[in-house]
Amino acid sequence: MKNLITLKSIAACTGIVWATGTFSTAIAAESIKATVNGMVCAFCAQGIEKTLLRMPETKAVFVDLKKKIVAVEAKDGKTLDGKKITAEIKDAGYDVVKLETVAQSVEDIKTATKAKK
Amino acid sequence: MHPFFRYFLKVKSLVTGTLLLAAASAHAGPMGFNGSTMAMGDFSPNWKEAWINHAVTPRDAFGAGGVAMRSDDKKLTRNFSELTYTRLLHRINGEHSQANLWLLGGAGRLTGNNFSDSKTMLAPGVSADFETTRFYASAMARLYRAPGINHDFVSARTGFSFYEVDYDQTQPWLIVEARRMRGLSEKTEVTPMLRLIHKRYFAEFGVSSMKQGRFNFMYIF
Repeated sequence: MKNLITLKSIAACTGIVWATGTFSTAIAAESIKATVNGMVCAFCAQGIEKTLLRMPETKAVFVDLKKKIVAVEAKDGKTLDGKKITAEIKDAGYDVVKLETVAQSVEDIKTATKAKK
Repeated sequence: MHPFFRYFLKVKSLVTGTLLLAAASAHAGPMGFNGSTMAMGDFSPNWKEAWINHAVTPRDAFGAGGVAMRSDDKKLTRNFSELTYTRLLHRINGEHSQANLWLLGGAGRLTGNNFSDSKTMLAPGVSADFETTRFYASAMARLYRAPGINHDFVSARTGFSFYEVDYDQTQPWLIVEARRMRGLSEKTEVTPMLRLIHKRYFAEFGVSSMKQGRFNFMYIF
């Protein structure tokens, strides 16, 4: 009986930890989505992607040429600076015309963008 | 020296200059993003060349290259090696387009099979391009100046992509290039090419109006 209670407690704790972990990940998935002018070819996209991936706080980058979108996701525990991202994209030779913070991961944005096509 | 022989040498010099201009025109404009290294090549029966440049700022790239070429009659051969500088003078970013104005510079040594000493050659030029995700157009003018060689060269390219793709997919284009070589021939060489662009590479395959196969590539590290 004692063993059964102990097992139940462990299972409950594990469940709480798992649930908390999932919840934390969902909260942490925040990205900056930029609309960029002048980004017309794969070489342009490659330049922007590499530039943004060099930033220490960047976890992932997604580029959509047709919709002119560049999405950047922060690493866990890191915060993205919109001004810095704008400056990096401008320095790469392109113009940021809109910047927004969204509660989505880059993978979510990628999936949503592709689903709309 | 017999006047006919002098005339013959002058024509040979013109051929050399023209070939050099044509070779350089294929990829003198492009440079990669800041901090990137770009390798480029242009291969056909009459010239084979390879270049590499490194972007030290978002607007400046330095590089080096070499080209081996021969005249149409296969009798004249030339080797040219140069240091290059590419500068993005101006860029206009449109909502769905991009336009660029480039300054091109080159200086190097030229050797050939009809003169013993090498010559110093300077090759300044300008290039402009306009592109969208479906349309491309560019034009270039470049001078090649060396003792006994003085040529102007112009080229133009235009084309379209068959369809739009995602950034991580290969995009096919049809590109047509026309180039003219003053002083050598009154003909304008026209080359239709299939261009494939992917994230890191760019390749073109074509056959010119002079019935010569051609392959170009670029790769960004």
